[in-house]
Amino acid sequence: MADTILEIRHLSKSFGSHEVLKDIDFTVSKGDVTAIIGASGSGKSTLLRCVNLLETPTSGEILFHGKDVTGRGVNAPEYRSHVGMVFQSFNLFNNMSVLENCIVGQVKVLKKGKDEAKENALRFLQYVGMAPYINAKPRQLSGGQKQRVAIARALAMGPEVLLFDEPTSALDPEMVGEVLNVMQQLASGGMTMLVVTHEMAFARDVSNHVVYMNQGVICEQGSPSEVLENPQKQETKDFLSRFRNN
Amino acid sequence: MDKFSKLISDISRLWAAYMPAYLTGIRNTLIVAVAATLAGCVIGFICGVLNTIPHAKTDNPVKRFFLALIRVVVRVYVEVFRGTPMVLQAVFIYYGLPYFSDGSIAFRGNGGIWLASLLVVSINTGAYMAESVRGGIISVDPGQTEGAKAIGMTHVQTMIHVILPQALRNIIPQIGNNFIINIKDTSVMFVIGFVEFFATHRNIVGVNLMYFPSAAIEMVGYLCLTLAASFLLRWLEKRLDGSDNYELVSDDQLVMAAGTYAHPDRGTPFDEHHKPSRDEVIQEVKIGKNRGER
Repeated sequence: MADTILEIRHLSKSFGSHEVLKDIDFTVSKGDVTAIIGASGSGKSTLLRCVNLLETPTSGEILFHGKDVTGRGVNAPEYRSHVGMVFQSFNLFNNMSVLENCIVGQVKVLKKGKDEAKENALRFLQYVGMAPYINAKPRQLSGGQKQRVAIARALAMGPEVLLFDEPTSALDPEMVGEVLNVMQQLASGGMTMLVVTHEMAFARDVSNHVVYMNQGVICEQGSPSEVLENPQKQETKDFLSRFRNN
Repeated sequence: MDKFSKLISDISRLWAAYMPAYLTGIRNTLIVAVAATLAGCVIGFICGVLNTIPHAKTDNPVKRFFLALIRVVVRVYVEVFRGTPMVLQAVFIYYGLPYFSDGSIAFRGNGGIWLASLLVVSINTGAYMAESVRGGIISVDPGQTEGAKAIGMTHVQTMIHVILPQALRNIIPQIGNNFIINIKDTSVMFVIGFVEFFATHRNIVGVNLMYFPSAAIEMVGYLCLTLAASFLLRWLEKRLDGSDNYELVSDDQLVMAAGTYAHPDRGTPFDEHHKPSRDEVIQEVKIGKNRGER
């Protein structure tokens, strides 16, 4: 069995009296591409934000290489530097150029030298095909370009896991492809990824583990063929058929 | 018409006689306005940042107590200095400190007057800026903070590198407002004997009673100062925004820089300079797109 990187155990999250996540359990091993699917409001994004500690879980544990990161004494910034995140709304730093966006974290958080950081940033910008745009500001780029830069920024930190929070949902249809291509390339390069997505084709073709969430609980999980082609639960069947009809 | 020519001749007589005094007044006004606006911005930024330190119920009690205390102190400062007239603050501080310290802390001589004026205008500006900065910080998209946190930045790093530069850009119009207000409002410092542009006018008309011509000079003088200030601030805003254009960087340069890009024709498939996809585009342009293919 491959190394376990992340283990989510009995994770729950409530906003006030509203329980968004109930007793979530799953494991991410090295090289896994886990697709989290489900209807809007089923807690997918909250789950991902909990994994990155952007939300504090109400109860339960998140084990990163066996160590619980939800406790009080944990250095959250240090942990986050090992877990990259790509957002639906890109969240590139508006006051910096594309290149600076990819350098600032390496220099300030990883304490790398400027030159080394620049070289590294250029390598990943090249990888996502955004190298010619290093001098552009985020406001001058299209959605797809921004998202590719966001991926490069996350990669430049050398993360062990990359979290994607609906990376293509805010994009025009013709730009979805360029971002999915990058993600596919990453997956085949062995990157460990946790992807919240509405792209069923991506879940089917790229991921090796699919988690279907419904109303804050994991309704069904397994390999793509198990969950997407032979769903056992009625909720999963309904969800998938709704998707096919659209 | 003859009234106008009389005014002009009066003004030129005044100017000829008192030009050095007027210019010194302008200089003093500008020095206090610029220095106090800058100092006020610093105070405002410190208060704004202190006010926006995130607090969670899970923090330990000591930290929560200190954060609450800081917020109360900042709040009291802002409300008191925003809610009282600056003339009064000047009198209050200039005479109040010696009163309370039995004269051991006092603003003595000309230097003391300068110090007191700078202090009062700075503190006053700071109180206004604290709220502007808080607004500026709040107005930055929360996604920016999340993006910074997600790459492992601490709160302080996030503030310094991501949030404050954007907040600063957002509140430059407010800083400009405060600067212009300061240019005009330093005039109330005459109550503690500070000789700036308006106090110069009071001194001069006290001698020769030419109220209206001197006031005309003051009006034009203040207007010139504030117009120059707004022009300068617009220019600063433009500079901070940077160019609307950007240069695409050619591959050759990147090869030198990155050292990983072996051959321009061997990119990744989503690279726009990838040879097969480029050939495909050229093909499409030449003979049209083959419908069956895609």
